[in-house]
Amino acid sequence: MSKLSFFLRRFHSLIALIPLGIFVFVHFMLNSSIFLGNEAYMTMVNFMKHAPFVIVLELVLIAIPLIFHGLYGIYIVYLAKNNALQYKYYRNVAFYLQRITSLIMLAFLVWHVYTLRIAGGGTEDVYGILVSTLQDPVGFILYVVGIVASIYHLTNGIFTFCITWGICVGDRAQKFFATCAILLFVVMSIWAVGILLALAAA
Amino acid sequence: MVNLKDVQYIKLKIKRRNSPQEASYWQDFQIPYRPNMNIVSVLMEIRKNPVTADGQKVNPVVWECNCLEEVCGACTMLINGVPRQACAALTDKLIEKYGDRPIQLEPLTKFPVIRDLMIDRNKMFDNLKRVRAWVQVDGSWTIGRGPRLAEKDQRIAYEISHCMTCGCCLEACPNYNAKSDFVGPNAIAQVRMFNLHAIGRMQADERLEALTDKGGLQDCGNSQNCKQVCPKHINLTAHIAAMNRAANAYVLRSFLDK
Repeated sequence: MSKLSFFLRRFHSLIALIPLGIFVFVHFMLNSSIFLGNEAYMTMVNFMKHAPFVIVLELVLIAIPLIFHGLYGIYIVYLAKNNALQYKYYRNVAFYLQRITSLIMLAFLVWHVYTLRIAGGGTEDVYGILVSTLQDPVGFILYVVGIVASIYHLTNGIFTFCITWGICVGDRAQKFFATCAILLFVVMSIWAVGILLALAAA
Repeated sequence: MVNLKDVQYIKLKIKRRNSPQEASYWQDFQIPYRPNMNIVSVLMEIRKNPVTADGQKVNPVVWECNCLEEVCGACTMLINGVPRQACAALTDKLIEKYGDRPIQLEPLTKFPVIRDLMIDRNKMFDNLKRVRAWVQVDGSWTIGRGPRLAEKDQRIAYEISHCMTCGCCLEACPNYNAKSDFVGPNAIAQVRMFNLHAIGRMQADERLEALTDKGGLQDCGNSQNCKQVCPKHINLTAHIAAMNRAANAYVLRSFLDK
């Protein structure tokens, strides 16, 4: 089928935002409950763990799209012949960073999901593992690097999504969306570090 | 900043290759400084007296050129690592920008090298054929001139019409390489131009069909190098984005219509 590559590319782009990008926002919102104290955080984790159909939602809205995006993404990374050292234009460096951050994000997510979701255990155990990881300086730095790389991948991806779907075409529109993406990157990074600091202090 | 009055020689470092089968090698040349030269005239000087900087007599450097006014694209090569036309690369400007070090000339890396700086550009023309980048007028009767184009469409088409298929955008594109069969930014822009054309738009769907085929516009990764290196300042990234919109609508429409 000759349209297969077109469909796969577009599907790869679409699922990155819906549902995966939306999930990241929800995930950040839920984890912000740590700002309301440990009790609120534990209530949230407990609720999420025992929500009805949570396993179905996790599979359909997170695991399957993420695995597809990751696997096809690795193929896209392989296809590029990066030349950011020769052509040091802003967008070309962003193109390269998009691929670098994707690999950092992949490693981070394997670690994050394995320790907290697959091997995790009960609510108390997960909370314990998370807090003790973040109280270790190495663990904290790995979390910051992993999350900031993921946010870069998401926000730069939102901008390129706008081009891929023909939402922004002209220079002015592209500049507007690019600026919004950078602002979103800064805001979400600060937000994420705030959550991590609050968890480490718990 | 180098004072051009102090420059005695125009120095060159040229990547050479005797045949497609043989490995490439570097050779240094120098010619006495003269003002107002370009890379083509420097290469012509070397052809008159093909002797390397260390006095070795060699075969003259092979390169292609044609129009000498940056409209044909034949003399495109890497000049100090940047893909551009040799005819429009002025040596005085190069020396002012990069200093008195040898000007480095290499053949484009995304095309098969025939000899020295001469490359086989056929792949670009094959890609234009893949996306049907022409106006179809052959038939049993004349189709006539077609309606007049609106001013705003003329402006877009005029900009794209400057494309000379020189290959700079393809050279700089990280996704245009031996691993992929991406048609490249220039071919995508050409589809926009021919789909705006009063008669060309009658085959708009055929072009969009080709453009969404394997190796089509979906292989663009938004590095936007194409726009940066285009010698004709064609806003390739905007044309790609416009074609993304058109291609998505086309694919959705053809799915829903059938």
